[in-house]
Amino acid sequence: MIDRRQMLGGLSLASALTAAPRFGFAAEPTDKRLVVVLLRGAMDGLSAAPAYGDPDFERARNGLAVAKPGQANGALALDGFFGLHPSLTGLHDRYARRELIVFHAIASPYRDRSHFDGQNLLENGSDAPYGLPDGWLNRALIGLPQARRQGRTDLGVALAPSMPLMMRGPARVTSWSPSLLPAPETDLVARVRALYQETDPKLAMALTEAVDANAATGAGGKDGAGGQEFVVLMKAAAKFMAEPNGPCVAMIDSTGWDTHANQAGTYSPLTRNLMTLDHGIQALADGLGDRWSSTAVVVVTEFGRMVAMNGTSGTDHGTASAAFLVGGAVAGGRVLADWPGLKPANLYAARDLKPTADLRSLTKAALRDHLGMDEGLLETAVFPGSGAARPFDGLFRS
Amino acid sequence: MSLQDAAIAANRFGLGARPGELAKIAGDPRGWLRAQLTPEAALPAPLAALPSTADDEAAFARWLATLHLGGADGAALKAYNVSHGAASMSETASTASMASNAMAPDDGKLSVEQSYVRTLLPRYATALEARIDVATTTDRPFFERLVHFWSNHFTVSAAKPAVIALPPSFERDVVRAHAMGRFEDMLTASTQHPGMLIYLDNYLSVGPNSFIAGHSEYLPEYLRGRMTGLNENLAREILELHTLGVRSGYTQADVTSFAKIITGWSVQGARRPSPDGRLFHFQPSFHEPGTHELLGVSYPQDGVEQGEAALRALAKHPATADHIATKLVRHFVADDPPPAAVARVAKMFRDSDGDLAKVSAVLIDLPEAWSPASAKLKPPEDYVVSAMRAMGGPRLTGRQLTAVFDRMGQKPYWAPGPDGWADAAANWIGPDPVWKRIEWADAAGKAMATSGVDPVVLAKETLGPSVSPATLEAIKRAESPAQGLALMLASPEFQRR
Repeated sequence: MIDRRQMLGGLSLASALTAAPRFGFAAEPTDKRLVVVLLRGAMDGLSAAPAYGDPDFERARNGLAVAKPGQANGALALDGFFGLHPSLTGLHDRYARRELIVFHAIASPYRDRSHFDGQNLLENGSDAPYGLPDGWLNRALIGLPQARRQGRTDLGVALAPSMPLMMRGPARVTSWSPSLLPAPETDLVARVRALYQETDPKLAMALTEAVDANAATGAGGKDGAGGQEFVVLMKAAAKFMAEPNGPCVAMIDSTGWDTHANQAGTYSPLTRNLMTLDHGIQALADGLGDRWSSTAVVVVTEFGRMVAMNGTSGTDHGTASAAFLVGGAVAGGRVLADWPGLKPANLYAARDLKPTADLRSLTKAALRDHLGMDEGLLETAVFPGSGAARPFDGLFRS
Repeated sequence: MSLQDAAIAANRFGLGARPGELAKIAGDPRGWLRAQLTPEAALPAPLAALPSTADDEAAFARWLATLHLGGADGAALKAYNVSHGAASMSETASTASMASNAMAPDDGKLSVEQSYVRTLLPRYATALEARIDVATTTDRPFFERLVHFWSNHFTVSAAKPAVIALPPSFERDVVRAHAMGRFEDMLTASTQHPGMLIYLDNYLSVGPNSFIAGHSEYLPEYLRGRMTGLNENLAREILELHTLGVRSGYTQADVTSFAKIITGWSVQGARRPSPDGRLFHFQPSFHEPGTHELLGVSYPQDGVEQGEAALRALAKHPATADHIATKLVRHFVADDPPPAAVARVAKMFRDSDGDLAKVSAVLIDLPEAWSPASAKLKPPEDYVVSAMRAMGGPRLTGRQLTAVFDRMGQKPYWAPGPDGWADAAANWIGPDPVWKRIEWADAAGKAMATSGVDPVVLAKETLGPSVSPATLEAIKRAESPAQGLALMLASPEFQRR
């Protein structure tokens, strides 16, 4: 079926899988940072990264197609075939600076259309909803070279008011979100901590992590309260990770991507979400300063949305979507997609963008080639049973 | 006479004890719970004072109209109207972010977002204050917990701007009214409530072969200029969340077919309430004609009866009983529901045809529910409510409550998505949530220490035998009554149940 596949960007997926030599974990990459952003609600990949060069794009989207580059509210051109949504101006600049890879027609192994199952699978790292009780990113923390060789247990942070599944599990993880109340008295905290240590180890551990996290952000938590939540959280992530011995892995949620109705237009939820995502990545880069050059951000969503507009100018749940890998450590400036096309016969279940790549190939590559994790651990502990989803090669600068 | 069982009844089934309450119910803790399983004689006063459903439904439209009169930019307003009038289910309109990130108006006028927050947030805050008021003062805390449970099961979230005012109305009309009735009736009432119909977009859903699809000149004003067709949002969530549960065997074809069955299920519009006062309106011209199949059963009925018959069948489906029983046992007994307990509750659900008073009563009879070891962590709302019940305060305004719960990660009526709030300790025991509760404990202890209360006595009175010697010792050694109260609130026994 090679005729309907288009080799795009500097490197097609097929060649990415076989070409570039992969990096070993010889170097001790203690300065590397990985941020995982989960867009909950299913981002419409064909709006975020419109395939305006596909001759079927406009017809298939029947009214939702982002205009071609150069037209009013047109896409920001990437490689002549794919573009970015007009609100992603920051990411577009990073593409030009070769810091961004756009993945398309990519999906987790989940093939039904429940958000909650889809997110659960994406977060637990198996190939089934509830297939594992904890999260892949948490399990990864145990396998990082810093944990295995230096015994570090302070490698992960979740920027969220409740602990997302992806970060739950055996490894210690700290968490933080902005606050409005004054910080409690130091003496009270010490007493509560002593009480927890005596009677409730789980609460004790959580409190210890919280105290450390507040020390790292420099405030009892008042920082940035009232700002745009996602941007505030990205700023906080930068604060944690900019420290020389700060956490190597951060996880951040973004919600509100479930655009069943009226998803186009300047004031639509989708447009505003994309704008916020763009601002958040900018805030992270600004906050990290020099460390941005050793940072990678993975942006994923639980599944995509239908190719065609539904009856209410939105899109219902679909299958494949787009994903982003951005950061100073990324060998970017390309789109990686084994493009399935948008003709009716090429759609998944006659309605969705067909998945031709597995999100785990991206996340596994980030753990292996960016953070230096042993590939054997990836297959056994982090993403068990994911052997068929080979990590992509060559995504990072050496 | 069992103080231990009284503490379990008050904390695990209820919203925490008030001083003196444990002694009062220790004679017959199970009887105390059973006595609460009756319909409400009258709406609690704080709720009776809230606006009507029609008023809540109209609030958003009225706000849009004021903007027009105020001369807001017509094009921007139209775009905002279109996008937010029918925004998606889980759009998070974080009020804080809307207020601070509103586009800077250069003419001194309020931006659309600022106006939204100022006009509609007070309505939410008032309803939140009433909800917390009822929870902290009720003599029927088990009933109240069940109301909160069903309100979460059938989530309508204020996170979607167009329904910001409707979750409290929904809770009153659908949940409180049927909490001791039949599940089937609650399900139908939910699916016909404007809150749900707007939250999950069904009022926009149009059958592809309906009359209106072929005659766009008859489209009502709110749909003009929009594409009209099928929207499967509500149909999917009814199958996945409200009835059968995910992975119970239904297919994409069932979702699409069910979406067709409930096309035309729409809202009357507050300006033209129906003779019976209901805001539900069946629009025959939107309805997809013909017989439709759902789960292998044909529904040949015409009109609204088709959807009502389908909902009845879903309510009776065995998977629904299992789904509801699992959620109830997880909520009241343990994060990992014991299968035997689930089976007992599910059996009663089936045997009684979804009689929710009987189903709730089975929970009281589960031996697993009376184990002295705490199996659940209180989520933020129950944590704050139980603190207020124990201390008799602090009394907070709706605005203050909004801020407190926002930072704790559980703003009532504002769940992140239609699946509602997560119901397991793992969600609430991370470092940040624990820290936020200690912050609250500190502030609340300081606010209430002036009342001359003895924290040691209070801990014994509200936690009963479940309070540990270590906690009592820590409270005794506190440097001040305020710190003693804070330690009581921060203690593991107070956070768990």
